[in-house]
Amino acid sequence: MSITPEQLRYCDSHEWAYVADESSGIATVGISAFAVAELTDLVFMALPKIGQTVTAGSEFGEVESVKAVSPMYSPVSGTVVDIHSALVEKLESLSVDPYNEGWIMKVRMSDPSELNRLLDWDAYQKQCGHS
Amino acid sequence: MAIDESLLQNAGMDWPIVLRVYQWERPTLSIGHFQKIEDRERVPNLRDLPWVRRKTGGGAIVHDQELTYSILIPKRDNQPTKGHNESLYRAIHGAFADSLRTLGWNAQLSETCTNKTTIGKNQEPFLCFSRRTPVDVVVGDDKILGSAQRRSSACLLQHGSFLLRRSQSTLELFGLLDASKGTTPGHRIGEMSMVPEKELGGFKNNDAPYLGDGSSAESSNRELDGWIDFFVASIKQGVSQLLPVHWYNGKLGDLFSDAKDHRVTRVYG
Repeated sequence: MSITPEQLRYCDSHEWAYVADESSGIATVGISAFAVAELTDLVFMALPKIGQTVTAGSEFGEVESVKAVSPMYSPVSGTVVDIHSALVEKLESLSVDPYNEGWIMKVRMSDPSELNRLLDWDAYQKQCGHS
Repeated sequence: MAIDESLLQNAGMDWPIVLRVYQWERPTLSIGHFQKIEDRERVPNLRDLPWVRRKTGGGAIVHDQELTYSILIPKRDNQPTKGHNESLYRAIHGAFADSLRTLGWNAQLSETCTNKTTIGKNQEPFLCFSRRTPVDVVVGDDKILGSAQRRSSACLLQHGSFLLRRSQSTLELFGLLDASKGTTPGHRIGEMSMVPEKELGGFKNNDAPYLGDGSSAESSNRELDGWIDFFVASIKQGVSQLLPVHWYNGKLGDLFSDAKDHRVTRVYG
């Protein structure tokens, strides 16, 4: 079943987190359609490593668009348990489906309550000026 | 460039805008943040150059007959956190092209682009000056100013290079002084990159660079000083169109101790 943007939680910096099964404690992370539009043409992406520890609000990877390198910030803290390696070779899929085909990493959360500090869809839309 | 990296790492949102213009002690290759050094084999004559990796994106640059600039702009509220800041590119590059046109060069923004996802990573030219983005400054067919950016949580860093003359390492790339004023595509002065005698008179004033003929060290230094002043003035003018800026000459040591003590991070590798 497809993930829809309304189901996600967002950072100010346009990364999203989605927890399919709360009992698993695993959050899927990506960047929003708004961010993809800001980035325009994507040419490179550097992913974290499996097993790497990430911290909410800290960099976990980088993306290069037309002549700009931008950091990606993790919405949650924890350990990276999976990365979407194939995405690096098909970055154009982020423009088509950033919430499903465009997932970037999966994190086993060390503190799931951090999700409560993220923006819901309505608040995120307002931040993006789409209210 | 290591200082630029250290500025990026240390900058806070309460910092002033920092503009630096510099040259390199010896011809050096800087590669974009995600470029592979092995790809320099695609271009002749680059193998033996020392190299560094920039924190900014874009293509590789041979820092030889050029001026490098960096500008660090602290993040303000409501500024984007992702992607390039096209308005900064356009402001600086546009002001530079405008200034060159007042001197008689047919400088303009490229308004074409080779950098598309669909092109494929390895099909992009390795060198920045062989690529085109819409905001690059060109004279005729020749790109003479290109820039690239990097964002952090606290600031935006923009690097750029103004190609004065072609380098022996990249003979296919012509700089501003290899072109004649009012140039049309393909119209270049030639390998000696001499400025026609009749064009020298108009530049001997306080408002524009003096173009020496390169025949003596004194005239070369004077020429270079003139271009540095011209370049700095153009960048300041461009930035001032976007932001309220009061420029003053400061010392990096006033901002952070790494610069004061020259204990900056090496960026090789």
